[in-house]
Amino acid sequence: MNHSGGQKHWRSLEQLADTAEFRQFLHREFPQGASEMDNSWSRRNFLALMGASLALAGLTGCRRPEEKIVPYVQAPEEVIPGIAQRYATSMPFGAGAYGLVVESHEGRPTKIEGNPLHPSSRGASNAFMQAAILDLYDPDRSRHVLHKGHQKSWDDFVTFWREQRSSHVDDRGASLAVLCEPFSSPTMARLKREFLNTFPNSLWAAYAPVTDESIFDGTKLATGELLSPVYHFDQADIIVSLDADFLLTESDNVANARAFANGRRIDLQRVDMNRLYVAESGYTVTGAMADHQLRVQSSRIIAVAIALASELAAQGLQLDYMRGIPQPDLSADQLSWVKAIARDLMQARSRAVIVAGRRQPAVLHALVMAMNAALGNIGRAVSYVSPKDLAPSNTADLARLSAAIKSGRISTLIVLGGHPVYSSPVDLNLPESLKQVETVVHCGTHVDETAQQASWHLPETHFLESWGDARAADGTASVVQPLIEPLYGGRTAAEMLQFIVTGNEVRGYEIVRDTWKALLAGADFEKRWRAVLHDGLLENSAAPSATITIRHQEIHDLLSQQPSEFKDAGISNLEVNFAVSPSMFDGRFANNGWLQELPDPVTKLTWDNATLMSPKTANELGVGNGDVVSLTYRGRALEIPVWIVPGQADYSVSLELGYGRSFAGQVGNGVGFNAYALRTSDAPYFDSGLAISRTGRTYELATTQEHGSMEGRPLIREGTLDEYRKNPRFAQEMVEHPPLVSLWKDRAYNEGYQWGMAIDLNACIGCGACTIACQSENNIPIVGKTQVRKGREMHWIRVDRYFEGDVDNPRMAHQPVPCQHCENAPCEQVCPVAATVHDKEGLNTMVYNRCIGTRYCSNNCPYKVRRFNFFNYTKDYHETIAMAQNPDVTVRSRGVMEKCTYCVQRINEARRTAKREDRQITDGELLTACQQACPAQAITFGNIIAPDSQVAKAKADSRNYHLLGELNVRPRTSYLARLRNPNSELSEA
Amino acid sequence: MPQTFPRWTNALPAIVGVGGSVLVAASALAFWYYGSPRYTDVGYRPKQPVPYSHKLHAGDLGIDCRYCHTTVEVSPSASVPPTQTCMNCHKLILPESERLLPVRESWASGRPIQWTRVHKLPDYVYFDHSAHVTRGIGCVSCHGNIAEMEVVAQQQPLNMGWCLDCHRNPDPHLRPLQEITNMKWVPPQDQAQFAALSKKDWRLSPPVDCSGCHR
Repeated sequence: MNHSGGQKHWRSLEQLADTAEFRQFLHREFPQGASEMDNSWSRRNFLALMGASLALAGLTGCRRPEEKIVPYVQAPEEVIPGIAQRYATSMPFGAGAYGLVVESHEGRPTKIEGNPLHPSSRGASNAFMQAAILDLYDPDRSRHVLHKGHQKSWDDFVTFWREQRSSHVDDRGASLAVLCEPFSSPTMARLKREFLNTFPNSLWAAYAPVTDESIFDGTKLATGELLSPVYHFDQADIIVSLDADFLLTESDNVANARAFANGRRIDLQRVDMNRLYVAESGYTVTGAMADHQLRVQSSRIIAVAIALASELAAQGLQLDYMRGIPQPDLSADQLSWVKAIARDLMQARSRAVIVAGRRQPAVLHALVMAMNAALGNIGRAVSYVSPKDLAPSNTADLARLSAAIKSGRISTLIVLGGHPVYSSPVDLNLPESLKQVETVVHCGTHVDETAQQASWHLPETHFLESWGDARAADGTASVVQPLIEPLYGGRTAAEMLQFIVTGNEVRGYEIVRDTWKALLAGADFEKRWRAVLHDGLLENSAAPSATITIRHQEIHDLLSQQPSEFKDAGISNLEVNFAVSPSMFDGRFANNGWLQELPDPVTKLTWDNATLMSPKTANELGVGNGDVVSLTYRGRALEIPVWIVPGQADYSVSLELGYGRSFAGQVGNGVGFNAYALRTSDAPYFDSGLAISRTGRTYELATTQEHGSMEGRPLIREGTLDEYRKNPRFAQEMVEHPPLVSLWKDRAYNEGYQWGMAIDLNACIGCGACTIACQSENNIPIVGKTQVRKGREMHWIRVDRYFEGDVDNPRMAHQPVPCQHCENAPCEQVCPVAATVHDKEGLNTMVYNRCIGTRYCSNNCPYKVRRFNFFNYTKDYHETIAMAQNPDVTVRSRGVMEKCTYCVQRINEARRTAKREDRQITDGELLTACQQACPAQAITFGNIIAPDSQVAKAKADSRNYHLLGELNVRPRTSYLARLRNPNSELSEA
Repeated sequence: MPQTFPRWTNALPAIVGVGGSVLVAASALAFWYYGSPRYTDVGYRPKQPVPYSHKLHAGDLGIDCRYCHTTVEVSPSASVPPTQTCMNCHKLILPESERLLPVRESWASGRPIQWTRVHKLPDYVYFDHSAHVTRGIGCVSCHGNIAEMEVVAQQQPLNMGWCLDCHRNPDPHLRPLQEITNMKWVPPQDQAQFAALSKKDWRLSPPVDCSGCHR
């Protein structure tokens, strides 16, 4: 067999180095120890004991268990037992909101999807949205009102506050302060106004650790107004990202990913795609999608931007503010990069966009906005809206609050949501100063770090239990409506604030309705309100694009203050980066097991964070993966293990935020390392001056990176746009093999529905939303860090990440791998009990009740997509976690193999509906969970023998290839080769 | 040399051989019979919290099954009626009856009546009532003649082989949709013709693959 033309992809540094350990790992089917019991018993002892206990107890369990049927007393009109219902709601997230449609079984929400009507999701979702359902059922959520750690009732707090309130009203709130999470909610904004009217002398601060604060500040610098950018990446041919991970961790990422992927979609009508340049210090999924990724320390991104602006001016763009601004010192490589981009941008004027990330300072955002304006991009690929009902995070306000507390002015502090004690800048020393406040009222979902410091803790409801509202990034007014009564009691944030302001208790529904009476002013309120509840949003309520006037003089002044020479980071003066975690975000999801076990898209680490550094930096420091190092920065220290990531900028290390929590709950406590311990208010995202020393200790990190390696065959096939134009079949020709002949008589598979899937690697961004969507839909358990280390993770769809090329400047690519549903399935041929067999529609079915757990099938699977239940992971589920399970899917027990089913429960539901309506299942009616979640619409699924179906069209594409197709296993899942669109001016790395 | 074993032991291998095989065969047969759902499950007749008589309601009074089991045509679950359904009539009929006390208590307190499930399939089996009753399989085919049962008992084994018998050859069980709940319907002379016709009309293809019922 001859693999011609394929790039040499490698999955980890060990593989590239081809060490003895790696070879051994590769050749063991199940990683070392996978077949040993977890405790000290040997298998032989265990079998002996089992035999004895079976003999003793074997026949006592024969009595039929009695099962109860509990009907309603009065049946609700709209509930049909056995049929799921769907309701629209929204998930407030930072200064925006994601529109959702939530599936509910007899009043029990089980699955979250995006709302197809909502501009923030258009039916897709990300991992956070998918995993939010598990947060609802978190058994660690707070259940009781606490006063100084003792259980009290809500009425006790009512009495307490009514007394307090009158004294605060008397002194106009002079000693009262509120610290809330940022929000963009009409109701909360109204209550905030009422609060400030009632207590005009009070302090109000909004703070969250990861926000768009610097973006808002940048627009204020550039135009004098606070504006929020809304991107339309499908309108851009050239996209330049300056440290903006707009596909995953920035605001509005679901809509961004969809539009970006649309701009890269190749079909017969359109053989063209956008080109993405990314400059960043640490690899992100956006960097992985880039046609050119520039490794550059975060502090030098501004230099790249200034150089780009000068270059644009030099090429004739009218940029008055660049006059007299010195060219920053960049390396020759960086300069040629900048020049090439500038030429591309000039060519694509008004069809281009420059994006700056939230981690970058305001001045960069102002400059980028001015460049976009000069290039004529504003109003096309990016527009700016004036956000309504917004309480933006403001670190200065937090500092002001902190100072007021220190001065002794504040006697009552109300903390509404968030986890400020855990995540506020360490230099403000909030935990210490809270001790000076007489009364701290904390309202939150968990008895967390902040609740520990509070005199009163009030349980807050989850958004799926709440009435509320929010505005999406583009200003669309969205409603939050409850799917279930609060599981643990509690009040919504709006109910609390309403009570704090007025001293009267009002139901959340009434509060929200009151706000919306103003929003829906005019006739027919009831009718329009019902429409809003049905759709989840108010139609045509997106904010209009603002007219932009760039203040050139201000930008010029700002730029002249920028240093033109940048002190180079070096091994003794490293740059520290605080990165947003793609799974924990800022730490709010720390108690969510699905997200803890979701492999990081870049590092493939689970259940931990690490200090990420380039191979060169690690080499010079003399450290390797898992070595614990001590980071010292501004006199503060943190011990944390090392993880080497090719593609990280040299002398720049990244720390993911959101780990190392002490009071998150049973799942999140003590997982990972708390990077907030080094984070200060003047350098929230990066700074130089970090020193690293070795401690000599090592720490075990759990990664899914090496598991199931496929030995360097061309699994991800990719080429450039030019190659594709010359030879559209390049991907299919990468592997030459003899004619494929089967030993068996082939089954025809030529009638009825024949299910198949196509995954477009050109669209896939590697984010992992599919993995969590599948976990939620298919009741997949989490297994914990020690089991992941043994290779026992249960994800039915994993996302493989490959590096390619030079170890210092690699490119990255992702490939989701679910069960391929081979027509000649190797797993079926070795199962001794026919527990995995084909059905007539081409599904490779897994019959749990037949499986005896030999694991032969997994041994014989070339894709390594079968998952074995080594333990009864679901047995000890808390009763609330059991409520999150999908009733349409079997909950598996110990000793059973499982794998992707192509969501057979959804196929059967679609079939049932179609049969009842006496028609065929239509294309697009049936979506698998991964397909539905995918923000980039990379996955198509359907009937492959219906010529008009989306999936048949995808499979007819010349880029279509089968993973390991040369084995003649005939997978039903196929891939569309990935294309890159490099700039010919820049030599290939 | 004296014989170590007495003479009768010469027959031992034969006895052990024959006896052993008989024993093995007998246990296999016993397990096959006593272990099968036909023996263990058929006839299961648990005591219910309310002495409700299907014979009286569905048989003598002739109330259609779907008056109470309302969702049988649209949902996988036929659903046991809410207390409200009982009270529709029993507010006026026998409002003082001793036997109806649990129903009135449930109605007053809002606590549901806890019925005991009779027809139980394992959790890994996904049966759909609506798929069957809208495609000509009558209630009586699986549940037996409920209209003659004072207390409901299981009539059929409900094991996989029994399901598959019908899925492989549904012809004798198909009936016109208007006869779905009729407990006394007998197949006409031309049943084969009717079955062939309706199989075509309904595009009937009862699944015999695992994925039809297991997920």
